[in-house]
Amino acid sequence: MIRTLSVFPKDPSIDSKGKSLLADAKEFLKVKTIEEIRCVRKYYLEGVIESDFEALRAKLLVEEVWQDYAIDANFYPNHPHQIEIAYKPAMMNPEVRSLKETAKALGITLKAADSCWVYYFFGSNIDQAEVQNIITKLVMNPLIEDIRTETPQTLIISGQIGKINTIPIRNMGDKELMALSQNTLFLTLEEMHTIQNYFQKIGRDPYDAELETLAQTWSEHCGHKTFKANLIIDGQEVVPLYRRLKDATKAINHPRVISCFKDNSGVFKINDQYGVCMKVETHNSPSALDPYGGAMTGTGGVLRDIVGTGKGAKVIASTDIFCLGPPDLAEEKVPEGCKHPRFILKGVIRGVADYGNQMGVPTVNGSLHFHEDFRAKPTVIVGAYGLISIDKAQKGEPESGDLVLSVGGKTGRDGVHGATFSSAEMTAETEKVNASAVQIGDPIEEKRAFDAILEMSAQNIIKAITDCGAGGFSSAVGEMGSKTGVSIDLEKAPLKYLSLDPWEIWISESQERMIIALSPENLGKAQAIFSKYNVEGTVIGTFTDDQQLRVRYNGETLCDLPMDFVHGGLAQLSLEGKTEKFKFEEPSASVLQKNNYNEALKTIMGNYNVCSKELIVRKYDHNVQGTAVQMPFAGGNHQSPNNASVLEPLPGMKQGVVIGHGLNPILNRLDPFLGSKWAILEAVANIVAQGADPENIALLDNFIYPKPDSKYLADLSRAIDACVETSKELGMPFISGKDSLSSTYRRGDKVIHIPPVLCVSAVGIIEDIEKTISSPFKKSGNKIVLIGETKPELGGSIYYDSLGYVGTQVPTIDTKLAFQIFKAIHQGIKQGIILSCQDISEGGLISSIAEMSFGELFGTKIVASVEGMKDYEWLFSESPGRFVCEVAEKDMGILKTICDSIPCILVGEINLEQRIVVELNQKSVLELNINDLKQEWQAPMKKVFG
Amino acid sequence: MKPKIALLYTEGINRDQESGYAFRLAGGETELVHVSELKSGAKKLANYQILFLPGGFANGDHLFSAKIWASESLAYFGDQLQAFAQDDKLIIGICNGFQCLIRTGLLPFNHLGKIEATLTHNASNSFQSRWVKLKIESSNCVFTRGLEGQIIRTPVSHGEGRFLAPEDELNKIEQEKQVVFRYVDEQENPTQIFPANPNGSTNAIAGLTSPNGKILGLMPHPECNTIWNHYPNWNEEKQRGGECLQLFKNAVTYF
Repeated sequence: MIRTLSVFPKDPSIDSKGKSLLADAKEFLKVKTIEEIRCVRKYYLEGVIESDFEALRAKLLVEEVWQDYAIDANFYPNHPHQIEIAYKPAMMNPEVRSLKETAKALGITLKAADSCWVYYFFGSNIDQAEVQNIITKLVMNPLIEDIRTETPQTLIISGQIGKINTIPIRNMGDKELMALSQNTLFLTLEEMHTIQNYFQKIGRDPYDAELETLAQTWSEHCGHKTFKANLIIDGQEVVPLYRRLKDATKAINHPRVISCFKDNSGVFKINDQYGVCMKVETHNSPSALDPYGGAMTGTGGVLRDIVGTGKGAKVIASTDIFCLGPPDLAEEKVPEGCKHPRFILKGVIRGVADYGNQMGVPTVNGSLHFHEDFRAKPTVIVGAYGLISIDKAQKGEPESGDLVLSVGGKTGRDGVHGATFSSAEMTAETEKVNASAVQIGDPIEEKRAFDAILEMSAQNIIKAITDCGAGGFSSAVGEMGSKTGVSIDLEKAPLKYLSLDPWEIWISESQERMIIALSPENLGKAQAIFSKYNVEGTVIGTFTDDQQLRVRYNGETLCDLPMDFVHGGLAQLSLEGKTEKFKFEEPSASVLQKNNYNEALKTIMGNYNVCSKELIVRKYDHNVQGTAVQMPFAGGNHQSPNNASVLEPLPGMKQGVVIGHGLNPILNRLDPFLGSKWAILEAVANIVAQGADPENIALLDNFIYPKPDSKYLADLSRAIDACVETSKELGMPFISGKDSLSSTYRRGDKVIHIPPVLCVSAVGIIEDIEKTISSPFKKSGNKIVLIGETKPELGGSIYYDSLGYVGTQVPTIDTKLAFQIFKAIHQGIKQGIILSCQDISEGGLISSIAEMSFGELFGTKIVASVEGMKDYEWLFSESPGRFVCEVAEKDMGILKTICDSIPCILVGEINLEQRIVVELNQKSVLELNINDLKQEWQAPMKKVFG
Repeated sequence: MKPKIALLYTEGINRDQESGYAFRLAGGETELVHVSELKSGAKKLANYQILFLPGGFANGDHLFSAKIWASESLAYFGDQLQAFAQDDKLIIGICNGFQCLIRTGLLPFNHLGKIEATLTHNASNSFQSRWVKLKIESSNCVFTRGLEGQIIRTPVSHGEGRFLAPEDELNKIEQEKQVVFRYVDEQENPTQIFPANPNGSTNAIAGLTSPNGKILGLMPHPECNTIWNHYPNWNEEKQRGGECLQLFKNAVTYF
């Protein structure tokens, strides 16, 4: 029998969930007839005797000091507008595990349990359509949840493992091959032929799991076919993209590079004992469909990349960078099948916060970029950084007889290539569980798995470790055993439920799972650790010495492929690209002359790409772990932004890591080469401004491009050229990266390409955390100095954008000069001469000065003579490699000496007048109250998050 | 004597590193003690002088924040907790640890197993990570001896920190001077106004002690301001961080 218990606060005004939902309903759905929503928690308990039910109520499920409850009845009986949303029968509800374990601790036997929410809607004249709209758009995820209308007969999940099938591929014609591919495999005809030829040669048809394994391993996502392809650009043969990047890193030969481009993250040396790991991932498609869930699993995945580096690393920080449509986009501009940018924005932020906060990982750095052409497909970037012992930074080689250990979550159907899976050849029966498309994140599962893994790593019993990401077991196990061979007994894998086919178990992308290679003699130690941390760790197979990928379910084979075919069977692609340039208009002289700089600055500070993102940062725990040295915001009011964050990875270590990034999608659209250079310099300038040493910096690339047809392939090639050239000139190696080349939206003849994104992440090592600075101005009377060369190049600038133009002239870049400037800034900070510093980027010089003033509401008087350019160019140019610095008057001489021939000019002074005043060529051009300007700068996100 | 501090750990606890660091800086000796080790008998609370319940999201904050952690602790080693709380020993719970102290009944009145108050969702309905100022009230709390009347700066990072109690209990807490920390505004007056009061706690209550002054619970994170670099504006000499270390020193020197 199933009993129910419904629980709600005695004081409805503290029902935070109901209030938030109503606020969202008003904001996103413009509901008018609903005045209040109350969210009642409902528990289902099966197979529990009366006294135990009472004990569970009193000790676990109800706190009578502040809650009321109803037993076996609706909380509000006969309420006309109530809807109960529960997990589908076969989905795993993470809370149930906790509930059952605690019941056990209380000595209570409980056959099964569930928890869910009942939504009660209040209002005098409720429009049922509004209720439906709230449920379908804001509450229920139909892939994993259902509306529950009656108490189920049982909560116990039953089911049966499906059969292994063979696919008669040997006799298929091209049409049938492509039909098979299109529905499930997403391989090209040529690739399908490669598979067909192989099976014709060995004289049998493949098992379903074999085709799936090949499709996963050979997918663009896992195989990076474009980055590895032979290329002809504008008729010239060029070196493949990936190889160019790797060759550049090799040529730089930086002594701190411990591991690059071969593991789940790159490793850069901090000192003789430790290295910092860096990995940045994208999760664009899942986040477009389900912003919250996509950002959750994106974060969970990139954290696993860190822990899955070498023989295990500890996550010390995360970052998040989003490119979205503007939050105030008109509803009619949202393309069919897409979600409103504001909904995506709020969802992804909540996802990153919920996952990162629970994991105890400080989210220390990030940014937001808005452009209409991200309205169909957002770019969602999540990064993670780790601390690794140098002696554990390289994976060991599994040997024959070593065990394949699966650690963490159970396997379900979540993430098995989506709902489109319905090919008759691939499944003998209809799906029993309709929840295949999405992956579901459960941070607590990942947290305890990491705890156990870090202890295994400390005990030195991990030979190699990797995460189960795309492709699930098939990729993780297939890669780890690629040199030895591996034999898996799939029936040993812990499952969420039984109604799965063996091939689904094999490729499922269920979250929070890691694969470890373990010597058999260490199994006892591993099991003791799993028991201590309450973690599931299961031996699912062994490494062999026959170079075969062999998988069985209860003795029946479902995969038996040679590793060299799995990993080497795919022919290199050959692709051609041709350069095409977009043309944009330059604003006319009359447009430019009319401008009022007071209004212009206010508009710039309130631009979505410049405005304060503080309200978002406040949702992320950024000081957990106690490693904070410089955090995202500083100044007396904690409202003035830093350019990057500084952490002391282990408290007391004294050495630090500086974490930052740079990107500018609009410049990439104008000029993929210069735009990419700008992104690299921006990433580096951001961390140098806080104190990073330009001699000790590593970089990471994320390319998020439209589908690389001819033009975008040529653009990509130019962007890689920029990376190669700039990293070599700066002596800063790329040590890891990721490409995601599918950000094109097509529906009918409507095509939207995102502005191409190259997001460059930068990590710097510093010897002494005390030799770092925050960005806000510190003291009245100190001087304001501009270091670097300002050029009249406003193409793609915020200033032009505020006038409604894109322009043509992208900032040009002298990398060698930039490096000299970085060194000078570093020296100035190290010697204590530069007291505060900001690099100049979107919005130009004057917006940097404003941001530095916000922390204490300082006034500034800026006086300069401007030659060879217009006033607006001097004020708003975004020439990279420039910095605004605060220097005490007495130290000006030393700064000049440090700068030597580098352009370094005194432009003003800090005062207590609370006004920003600019005089150019003896003429007053701008004067504003700094507090008013700060309000303009804070207003846009207040409108979204206030 | 160098007291031994047990950092009570379970799945989802994530403030263990800075909590341990704070007590080591203060001169204590720290050890992670997993709930499962107390359950199995591998470790005993009797071997420690200070019990520290750190912050985090114990068991994913399933059911309620810290509920599973509190329930399992009561079920598996409630007798040890009882003995610890009756002995001349100290207990401190921060953030999720404070929630656990409330849900075990150790706070406000050291009635183990009896829930007499709650920490619920912030009035702002959102998780908040920001710096706040706290005023240290006069109380018999061991941790704040000699600090009464001072202002300390701490970060908060929580979604469920709003302290609520029925009127009688609240009056008793106030009358017995059990309130140790209150959120204050720029003028150093207790405030209900966001963001100085980040969660809307009744009477601006940020932390409480037990009637005997030996159990302390608070939502803000003093363990994240125990050294100069913890405060964001440390570049200015007068703003260097670290003032919260004294709380931990007081606990260590108690023994």
